[in-house]
Amino acid sequence: MSRFSDTPRRRLMDALWPWLCAASVALSLLMLAALLALLVVRGLGHFWPATLEEITLRSGDSVAGQPTREAPLPQADGFERLYFTANRDIDGASWRWVNLDDIASRSTPSDLIRLERNPWGDFIGRLAGVETGGQLLREDQAWRYLTQALALPQAERPDAELLLVTSDGQTLRQPLSNFSQALAPNAMSWWQKIHTWSRNVWQFLSQGPRAANTGGGVWPAIFGTVLMVILMSVIVTPFGVLAAIYLNEIAHQNRLTRLVRIGVRNLAGVPSIVYGVFGLGVFVYGIGGTLDSWFFSDTLPSPTFGTGGLLWASLTLALLTLPVVIVATEEGLARIPDAQREGAVALGATRLEMLVRIVLPMAIPAMLTGVILAVARAAGEVAPLMLVGVAKLAPQMPVDGEFPYLHLERKFMHLGYHLFDTAFHGEDVQAAIPLVYATALLLVLIVLVLNLTAIFLRHYFRRQRGSEC
Amino acid sequence: MLASLDSATASQAPVTHFSSEHCALSIDQFNLTYAGKSALRDLTLSVPRHRVTAFIGPSGCGKSTLLRAINRLHDLNESVAHSGHIQLEGQDIYAPQMNVTELRRRVGMVFQTPNPFPMSIYENVAFGLRLQHRLPKRQRDDIIEWALTSAALWDEVKDRLHRSAWQLSGGQQQRLVIARTLAVQPDVLLLDEPASALDPISTLKIEELIRNLKSQLTLVLVTHNMQQAARVSDYTAFLHNGELVEYGPTDQVFTNPRLQRTENYITGRMT
Amino acid sequence: MTPPRAAVSRQPLRQLKNRIATGLITAGGIGVLLAILAIGVFLIWETLPLLAWDQTFAFSKLSPLAWGTLKAALAAMLFALPIALGAAMYSALFMSARLRSRVKPALEMMEAIPGVVVGFIAGLVLAPWVERHLASTLALLIWLPISAGLAGVLWHMAASRWRKWLPLSWAGLWLLPWLVCMVLLALWFAPLLEQFLLGGDLRRLLEQHWGMDYATRNALIVGIAMGFAVIPSIYALAEDALADVPTSLMEGAQALGASRWQALWKVALPAAGPGIFSAVMIGAGRAVGETMIVLMASGNMALLSVSPFEGMRSMAAAIAIELPEASPGGLTYHHLILAALVLFIFTFLVNTLAEVVRSRMRRRYHKAGRH
Repeated sequence: MSRFSDTPRRRLMDALWPWLCAASVALSLLMLAALLALLVVRGLGHFWPATLEEITLRSGDSVAGQPTREAPLPQADGFERLYFTANRDIDGASWRWVNLDDIASRSTPSDLIRLERNPWGDFIGRLAGVETGGQLLREDQAWRYLTQALALPQAERPDAELLLVTSDGQTLRQPLSNFSQALAPNAMSWWQKIHTWSRNVWQFLSQGPRAANTGGGVWPAIFGTVLMVILMSVIVTPFGVLAAIYLNEIAHQNRLTRLVRIGVRNLAGVPSIVYGVFGLGVFVYGIGGTLDSWFFSDTLPSPTFGTGGLLWASLTLALLTLPVVIVATEEGLARIPDAQREGAVALGATRLEMLVRIVLPMAIPAMLTGVILAVARAAGEVAPLMLVGVAKLAPQMPVDGEFPYLHLERKFMHLGYHLFDTAFHGEDVQAAIPLVYATALLLVLIVLVLNLTAIFLRHYFRRQRGSEC
Repeated sequence: MLASLDSATASQAPVTHFSSEHCALSIDQFNLTYAGKSALRDLTLSVPRHRVTAFIGPSGCGKSTLLRAINRLHDLNESVAHSGHIQLEGQDIYAPQMNVTELRRRVGMVFQTPNPFPMSIYENVAFGLRLQHRLPKRQRDDIIEWALTSAALWDEVKDRLHRSAWQLSGGQQQRLVIARTLAVQPDVLLLDEPASALDPISTLKIEELIRNLKSQLTLVLVTHNMQQAARVSDYTAFLHNGELVEYGPTDQVFTNPRLQRTENYITGRMT
Repeated sequence: MTPPRAAVSRQPLRQLKNRIATGLITAGGIGVLLAILAIGVFLIWETLPLLAWDQTFAFSKLSPLAWGTLKAALAAMLFALPIALGAAMYSALFMSARLRSRVKPALEMMEAIPGVVVGFIAGLVLAPWVERHLASTLALLIWLPISAGLAGVLWHMAASRWRKWLPLSWAGLWLLPWLVCMVLLALWFAPLLEQFLLGGDLRRLLEQHWGMDYATRNALIVGIAMGFAVIPSIYALAEDALADVPTSLMEGAQALGASRWQALWKVALPAAGPGIFSAVMIGAGRAVGETMIVLMASGNMALLSVSPFEGMRSMAAAIAIELPEASPGGLTYHHLILAALVLFIFTFLVNTLAEVVRSRMRRRYHKAGRH
């Protein structure tokens, strides 16, 4: 007589339950894949020189632009399409919704060009001519002249004026010095497009932001993030390892040590914003304010160290990631068999010699894993930085040629915060979104690569040790 | 001198005291508690120099604890307390002026499972040397060769001294650990069930090594294996529940034990 | 053959070095640990001045924030718990070992995705989409579990040749295309259903009939986004707890005639109960403290409403927005620090509880394994 009876309910549950559970796994994977795919497609697609369309409306108007997306009409049946038309100086806006029913014809003429300029954002239209030194170049000649001139460094470019025509026939004349890139995407071959794409990606990685974050790149943010993370690891590694060694090798293993260990472990679960509050209150206002009143009293009330900056951000994140390093190192130390320690001690080694020559070398993989995990966490962390030191657009880089070269008190740009700021406080969010996708993709890639490295290291060393024992 | 010592074993009276010139270690009324629980009770025995002395007894009888006490390895653990004396060549090892690291150099210890360090064979043997002395490389190489030869390992490893020690077989690892200990030239070598994790052939090699080594130093062997104790040791001490039950020349303890308890254990009626 | 004994002794220096280094490590270690623990001390110290002020004001300021925090966490847990626990049960008990060794790291990667990225997708992509397709979203939330069950029923009815091709142990993978099809089906069908049953726009209906406001960034969005963020941590811990249940227990139950589902429900779940509990606790702790996702996906209106279609402002988000502007020493400053203290104490307690429960469970299995 079993208490597990065979009933219809049991059979139904047997049929349903595992499938619901399996679907949870599939759904999680699906969401993850969708998120990553979205970031990859939108983030990398932005750099692809997209085809420009010229449409003629039923009213007879002509519009040129890059189609971005379609949406159902808010009040009536049918769809409308959003075009990126650029030319903010002429139209007053660089986006235009067009009702699909209004479109009479669509074409992709190969003479449509897209120019990057500094004031007013991009231009989309046609090149009528280039005027240089009293001479007027037209057609292919003008285009060749323009691309060659733009290939030169900024300082060496000749004086010239461009004659431009928009799709609806308006003409304008602008100096060459405004422009930075010229593309005729409809006339490009695949190979040229790939070339342009990789150049755009490189510019994104190597240039500073332009035009209120709607163009250009994220180099200062990458630099700021990396610098902050390096400073943080320089601070957190020795202290975290020190604390772990103390806790595991030197402290008496009693109730208090166990409590401290649980406490440290739990601090890893305390929200990052709380660390931010601590950093603001203690580092910025407390220590920074005191430093200011001692050494920088001549510039007060404008604060030097008494405001968020690189040093305080690194310190705060170091504190935030300290538990990660301590826990990982301690795990590594605990995994070293006591036989190794006793073997060293039995040969007449002092505790220091045992630690330095036997224990620490064996714990290096664990420490490395801990530091990499800490770096991965710090690179993606934004909330505490909002309190202790990032800037939307830092006027100066934290490293420059001016003594003392590394300016710990300066504000800095950070990828995560740059993403948040561009997406939520930008002037033209619509235009900035593709760059936000690209930034998000970059951030995710950095964090994932760091995490994968940590996982790989852990597996590698574990397997190595397993085979040798 | 040694002959007279051995002739004494022929008499019925058990030999448990050796004159100071024959005695390497003497343990005097030694007690040890582990987290409040008594592990060794009132132990008194002395270990003769240049002989192999075996500690036997059921598991948990305190034989390994005693061995570790001789090396002061319990110092690493705060929950261990002791009273009484252990003297190494007439010096109390628990005396405050005793230098623990120097004591551990003089009293080498080999553990149950081989524990070579994660470095090359050469570095394993050099480890203790580097701690003690700054030696010219030539001299160090000589000592290492000597130690490996003494541990009957030199011929097997001389071509791969700089390979990882973890690539050796279990038996080789254990002989490497012995070589590592010999390199710092201890007076006493403590072996805590050195062959219990090894296969029969490696065990035989270790036993042969132990017999050969007694010309150089004093050996104390803890073992589970009665035959092993009978094969290699000169003196045998039977411990039970932290107390010394019987101690005497191995032949006598095994063939003609004084106490019923010892006989029961040796014949396998008590575990 | 005896080698020459070397004379150079380094004893005194070695002892001195050892003593100095031990002292330094001790000092450093204690210093670091104290610095970490100083966080709690600082937060308490900075909230003490509040005692001198009027308490009712603090209460009225903090209660919408506390409610917002709870609401966001609750929404996230509602979304994450079924998925995370279901996934944990499947991967611990049903999944093939090879698939598991790949899926587990993949889901661990999910935890590493920065909150700011999830928040951006939620706030700027998901929120507008859901606003336009509210009916489809709700239909999806109901339809997906049903379609999973449907897959199970179909599988049981299918020929055994098919079943061998599509084994349950790999279902986590081959259900993916099925789910994609089901999502597409729901997206195609939901507007028709909306038109047919509700006669038009669900959102307008909500506003007109039940007087419910719809905010673009609302609790629903926060729930999905933050749920996404806490799924991996709950999953990882719960999976460990379930995988730690000795297989002998499960096999014993099945030997007595229990089906797999009964063995899971009556043996594995109770045995892993404490571990699952601590997983849920740690997930809740994360949900309560997560800043960027709430900041970006919630609209940040300090409201006291229960509607899932309205936004909220959480304590963490309030701190992130207001603290940089609050003058140090002012009332707002102290209020925000009080909010941080509440967060700190809450997460610390929750984590400690989880840790204690988990270590107790581990000790029990240790004993069970020995006997």
